[in-house]
Amino acid sequence: MLKVPYVTNYLSEHFADDAFTTLEGYEREGGYTAARRAIHEMEPAAVIELIKDSGLQGRGGAGFSTGLKWSFMPDDDERPRYLVCNADESEPGSFKDRILLERGSHQMLEGILIAAYAVGAEKTFVYVRGEYAYPADCLERALREARAKGYLGENVMGSGFSHEVVVTRGAGAYICGEETGLLESLEGKKGQPRKKPPFPAQYGAFGMPTTVNNVETFSHVPHILRRGVDWFKGIGTEKSPGTTLFGISGHVARPGLFELPLGTPLSEIVFEHAGGVPGGRKVKGVIPGGMSMPILPAGELDVPMANEFLRERKTMLGTGGVMVMDETTCMVRAACVITYFFRDESCGQCTQCREGTGWMEKMVRRIERGGGEERDLDILLDVAGKMEGHTICAFSDAAAWPVQGLLRHFREDFERHVHDGKCPFPASFEL
Amino acid sequence: MPRFSVDGVEYEAAEGRTLLQALDDAGVLMGDVEIPHYCWHPKLSIDGSCRLCQVEVEGIPKLQIACDTPVREGMVVHTKNERVREAREGVMELLLVNHPLDCPICDQAGECKLQDYAYDYGLSESRSREPRRALQKNVELGPEIVFDQERCILCRRCVRFCREVPETGELCVTSRGDRSTIETFPETPLDNDYSMNVADICPVGALTTRDFRFKIRSWFLEEVEGICTGCAKGCNVYLGAAHNKVYRYTPRRNDEVNETWICDPGRLSYKRIGSADRLQQPLVRGELGVPEVVSVDAAIEAAAARLRSLVERKGPGVVAGIASGHSSNEDLFTFSRFLEALGTRNAGVALPRGEADGLLREEEQAANGAGARALGFQDAATLAERIRSGGVDAVVCLGHDLLDPRYLGDSEVLASLDTVIVLDSHVSPLERVAHVLLPSRVAAEKYATFTNAGGRVQRVSPAVEPGFDAYPEGALLARLGAALGFADWSAAWEARDVSRELAAAHPRFAGCDWDSVGSAGAPLAGAES
Repeated sequence: MLKVPYVTNYLSEHFADDAFTTLEGYEREGGYTAARRAIHEMEPAAVIELIKDSGLQGRGGAGFSTGLKWSFMPDDDERPRYLVCNADESEPGSFKDRILLERGSHQMLEGILIAAYAVGAEKTFVYVRGEYAYPADCLERALREARAKGYLGENVMGSGFSHEVVVTRGAGAYICGEETGLLESLEGKKGQPRKKPPFPAQYGAFGMPTTVNNVETFSHVPHILRRGVDWFKGIGTEKSPGTTLFGISGHVARPGLFELPLGTPLSEIVFEHAGGVPGGRKVKGVIPGGMSMPILPAGELDVPMANEFLRERKTMLGTGGVMVMDETTCMVRAACVITYFFRDESCGQCTQCREGTGWMEKMVRRIERGGGEERDLDILLDVAGKMEGHTICAFSDAAAWPVQGLLRHFREDFERHVHDGKCPFPASFEL
Repeated sequence: MPRFSVDGVEYEAAEGRTLLQALDDAGVLMGDVEIPHYCWHPKLSIDGSCRLCQVEVEGIPKLQIACDTPVREGMVVHTKNERVREAREGVMELLLVNHPLDCPICDQAGECKLQDYAYDYGLSESRSREPRRALQKNVELGPEIVFDQERCILCRRCVRFCREVPETGELCVTSRGDRSTIETFPETPLDNDYSMNVADICPVGALTTRDFRFKIRSWFLEEVEGICTGCAKGCNVYLGAAHNKVYRYTPRRNDEVNETWICDPGRLSYKRIGSADRLQQPLVRGELGVPEVVSVDAAIEAAAARLRSLVERKGPGVVAGIASGHSSNEDLFTFSRFLEALGTRNAGVALPRGEADGLLREEEQAANGAGARALGFQDAATLAERIRSGGVDAVVCLGHDLLDPRYLGDSEVLASLDTVIVLDSHVSPLERVAHVLLPSRVAAEKYATFTNAGGRVQRVSPAVEPGFDAYPEGALLARLGAALGFADWSAAWEARDVSRELAAAHPRFAGCDWDSVGSAGAPLAGAES
């Protein structure tokens, strides 16, 4: 019996039930009826329209309209078309896709079938991060079941529509979660993002029209078809419908996965669902959506967790990975962890990102050790500004934003390091 | 044909071109329009990674990289405003964070894009206090190329070059982020016939050639426009010369011929200019059969005497003229007039053959086979057969291509001839049989034109002077003709004048004289290119 998620909704409703991981168990809960109906009774264009109408936003981090993305696949194009499922969940603080694969592979697979039918894809590549060996095994088992039952391969569900799903395992690079870095890696090349345009819909996997969606995005799709657009729009906020799986980690009493409607206040997630900070300590700051999203200070936790509200606070929902830091935390040490990560993971193509990530990490580390100068803080911000918005992919932005966020809300921590010549937070976590 | 404007000046682009490509096509990039760039190269695929070429395009909020932004009708581009300048400064500062700044001992100094752009867009003071990355300084990528990992700015031109031009793909980027470096694949050294081009396209001092590095500071070199004479391609080069010595060839861009490349053997062929086996002294075989060093005048007199005597005895039909594909159009024009004035029709051109590689290297291993053919010289194979069968008593030979296996193979058969006169730049086995030997100049020592395999007439200018008494073949033949007392014949010979005479006399060479062809050359009438 699985203990997470603590709070369930339609996506994770049956995740505690082992039988749900089998095709039989999944069908017992109404599984594959949406795919069957879509493939047999709906026009592909109607499926795309329906998803567009639902307002479903991609759950991989950027929050782009899923239906709109599907509609970008070119008309009158004879080339084979592909779907790619991005299961390279690598954003620190995120672990929703892992559970969605382990406990809900069939649910995701049904979403893939519907999407494949909608965009006319003959094959789906599921790119699973290499460390996710067990989730990948779970998926492969589900694929075997689906194939045996005629839900994959030639003539899916007797409809004349054919589809195959291939699992590819990554080798541990964060950048392979960026959709075009993923495509390069999928093709057997070094995982480095492609310049865009052309976008994947025109030139994707192996040069073919391709749509890339996240594990969770696919998982929502069968529910929307089964229960309707109005039902879906009734959950979450007006602009951000549906639930998402918030992964809570850090200084909380009950870290874990919580499926909650988008727009749930961050404070409710942290204090009610995750039980707040243990030991009576106070929250210092919360990263709302995975490590690349700018941090929010304790005073801003009232924010509803949806992009339209988070943007006003100069941050984003990202992958919904909420990381809580209590009052003992040294934010310069946090910056060390973050800048180290992005320096390590930068692919190194673009000048600003390759050189900027390294420079920031070295600077932050020097400040943490007490060797900082007042002007370093402005140089940090300046370097981050140069990295933002000038590169092939969003990695450079993702590396710059958290540093900007930390300096926006916790500049005092940095200044105290500079003035004291040492770290003023002896009780903070060790580097 | 979309029209676009850059800083208020209108240009026209071909369909499907990006901004940098269109400006390059228009011939204004880094001239009237300055858009600094590292990773972009006109003959390689677009990489878009150095991010230096960012410009402002009206209607697009973010700055765009000019290398990868397609030109659209009515596009308005700004390259000189504060925003663009700041972006360039930002990239330059970041590029210099890890660069060793070892310019005083760097071979690229003086012709380094990092120096150039840092001068334009660099900060006067480094804001970085952090240690620079320490990597390997002297990595042998292959037999010709040495790599300094610390100086590399990871523009990846070299990687793309190896994949896209020779298609050998020896290079790759290993590791990630600021640990990235260029390496060869295991057990695949950078060893192809075009490997040295990576040193030219490397915008910094990371890739240097073993041949040129540390020989001389680049600013002491006078870069003289010329061509490589190693094969019929006639790749355009700069001859880097100083102290009356050629230190290197570097490819000179000509999109009609060699684009921006040259093969390694061609590049290294500059060594033939000042090599120890240059023929330096006129030699005349004395009565005892021993060669004696004489003056040029005396050698010409001796040659004239032998020829005069033979022609008086047997008539001019026993004299054969063997031209070389290494001779210039002007030399060959004079040679054909010389043979005509002498009264013989026995003329042919010896052209050594090798293997074409489908890229630049042509089968004919001489620069002017096409010029010789255009001037009426037939392949010397038939004539060689006549020489072998004893049908000829005298040979006037330019160069020593006649010794190629396709013709005589060796000089032995010539030993029995009455008269062998050789005009050559280098020592060869012909020395053993020649009655008169006259040193001639190589292409780097004279004004001349050569016609390449595509029928393009291309010119060279002297980069150095020989340190001994040598003259162009045409000049020697003019003096020999005068010594023989040819009618309407002048001993004076000046290549650029002869070039004009050739253009006037020969319809295919119309407009193709030295002055008219310009630095990019011009096609023969009726030629493909």
